Amino acid sequence: MADTTPNSNGAGEPIITVRNMGKSFDDFVALRDVTLDVNRSEVLCLIGPSGSGKSTLLRCLNFLEAYDTGEVRLEGELIGWQEGVSPRKARSSGTLRKQRQHIGMVFQQFNLWPHMTALENVAEALVQVKGMGKVAAREKAEAALAKVHLSDKAQSYPANLSGGQQQRVAIARAIAMEPRVMLFDEPTSALDPELVGEVLAVMKEMAAEGMTMVVVTHEMGFAAHVADRVAFLDAGRLVTCAPPADIFAREPDDARVRSFLQTYRERNVV
Amino acid sequence: MELDLFVRYGPALIRGFGVTILCWAAGSLGGLVLGFVIACLYRWSIAPVRWVIYAYVEVIRGTPFMIQLFILYYGGPYIGLVLSPVQAGILSFIVYGSPYFSEIFRSGFNAVPKGQVEAARCVGMAEATILRRIVLPQMLVPITPPLTNFFIILTKETAILSVVTVPELLYETQTMAAETFTYVEPFLVLSLFYWLMVIGTNWLGGRVEARVTRHLKRA
Amino acid sequence: MNFSFDVIWHNLPYLLAAARWTLLISVAGMAISIIWGVFLCAARISKNPLLSNLAALYISFFRGVPLLVQLLMAYYMLPYVGLDLPAIAAAILAVGLCSAAYTAEILRGALQAIPAGQTEAAHALGIPAFSLWKRILVPQAVRIGLPSLVNELILLVKVSSLASVVGIGELTRISQNITGQTYRPLEIYIAAAAIYFLINLVISGLGRLAEKRLQAG
Repeated sequence: MADTTPNSNGAGEPIITVRNMGKSFDDFVALRDVTLDVNRSEVLCLIGPSGSGKSTLLRCLNFLEAYDTGEVRLEGELIGWQEGVSPRKARSSGTLRKQRQHIGMVFQQFNLWPHMTALENVAEALVQVKGMGKVAAREKAEAALAKVHLSDKAQSYPANLSGGQQQRVAIARAIAMEPRVMLFDEPTSALDPELVGEVLAVMKEMAAEGMTMVVVTHEMGFAAHVADRVAFLDAGRLVTCAPPADIFAREPDDARVRSFLQTYRERNVV
Repeated sequence: MELDLFVRYGPALIRGFGVTILCWAAGSLGGLVLGFVIACLYRWSIAPVRWVIYAYVEVIRGTPFMIQLFILYYGGPYIGLVLSPVQAGILSFIVYGSPYFSEIFRSGFNAVPKGQVEAARCVGMAEATILRRIVLPQMLVPITPPLTNFFIILTKETAILSVVTVPELLYETQTMAAETFTYVEPFLVLSLFYWLMVIGTNWLGGRVEARVTRHLKRA
Repeated sequence: MNFSFDVIWHNLPYLLAAARWTLLISVAGMAISIIWGVFLCAARISKNPLLSNLAALYISFFRGVPLLVQLLMAYYMLPYVGLDLPAIAAAILAVGLCSAAYTAEILRGALQAIPAGQTEAAHALGIPAFSLWKRILVPQAVRIGLPSLVNELILLVKVSSLASVVGIGELTRISQNITGQTYRPLEIYIAAAAIYFLINLVISGLGRLAEKRLQAG
């Protein structure tokens, strides 16, 4: 393996492997036969028209949605389902919780807990899940807030923070748990345009520090400039997964990608 | 007003007030806890259990308290449940209040956005921790006023306990009225006691509300 | 003395006739409770201190004074101020005005669970206050508070029995009368309880239906 890894922390190796994964809601097939690797320290952006299944794919990675067929593995460990049991049986809630601790998630609607201050939002899981002492948790939470440049808002309740600040607190909440992977579900879609930049800037810094990130996004600029690879989904299928240069720079090979980007460009020019 | 009447009957009235407070506090707090358990069971159990709970809520909530009290107090001995009036009063209060409380809690559960729970699951929180730390503090925001409402309603329902000879406030007041042939004064005092309970409950509810809505204040 | 269904059967027509009064008081009382409750709630959370304090006083009075007293006041005292209401109107008014105090508090609690951002967004769009309440706030408050509102409406049906003190032959009063004639309290009261139960079952059934629809929509 050593010859394929560019550096010692194992960057470049797949950390998440998705194999032939499928997911249906009643009659509606949300994902079919998705196979995809996420490499360590890579930023992978998921793009595609709405309803293409990109959010569902993301939510299957940490088993917020139980995928029906195929496999999702984090560092070789099957996520959500018990290994080698047929018919499938979900893992115990305790095991599931352990698995989820390694996968941070950031939501479109932030989902900060409104009855806790920014600091408490970040420290809560450190105390309740990792069993840290209050003082240690507080210090760690402060460090996480500093990373998203919100040290001065530690004592504010979410109701008194702007959308961009709330989303940065949500990011701090996730990174304080020291996850191996971070999932972002349209992290800037609920934000006013002038607040998008501050969130993307924080995400860029995280990428530069080598965090593995899977990002569902409509921000094509971010996908083009920060992503290592971009996966395009349409109607529940993974159409292509390639470096952004291949997808954005020249005319993409696939007609669906072409028409999606075409609509996207037209909308943004107007 | 004849003051010596109150000197004579004062201790009995105070004692009656004590019994009223006891039945009310024990009964409504018990009902609150039972209602919470029922709401949790309803939320996290399989269909047949939910049907049983549904029927329980509808039957207890839909029938008058006095009838339930009669059935418990006079019907209980047939199945070996012999209760003192106060015991019957408290127990029937717990049962009577529980479906109302459980419905209030159910509305509270529904009011907490799903994303809040998902975010907690994503950091690996256990379900019991999520309930205690995330869901409960948030559901208290919309349900504190209806909970206060119902505690207030229950203060007045305590009067019904007099029909099974619980020596509570109304019972003592009626005794006083019957023995002295005075009606206005005893019932004015009775109203004052109930009013005190309502004011107290209202104040307490306001305090709880201020506590649970702290985070909504705009800085 | 054995339980006799005959007693129930023979008296059922009288009980059902009486239940019509119970229904009338309940339904009309509910209408007042909800409509007046919305206005009370709006006044209670209004930024105008006069309105807000008046509403708080109203709620404190109607929750604090026993309904029986309110009813007697509506019936016996209003004529002194020139408002001579028929008994049924006094009963409906008393029940409705009292219940509105509880309804207002339920709605107020529910409104607190709606993010303030929604009101701000509506203000930003220039939506007038009345539409804001009608189209945005009340529907959401009702959705969140529905189980508690159904609680309140069921309690309202039960307290309608107090209307008997101003001489209305509603279900509880007629049950007492029949018991006085037949000396069969067990049968009659169980029958009366069953009728109350059926009325309440309809209310909570409608409540659940509304809950499903509001959640779907």
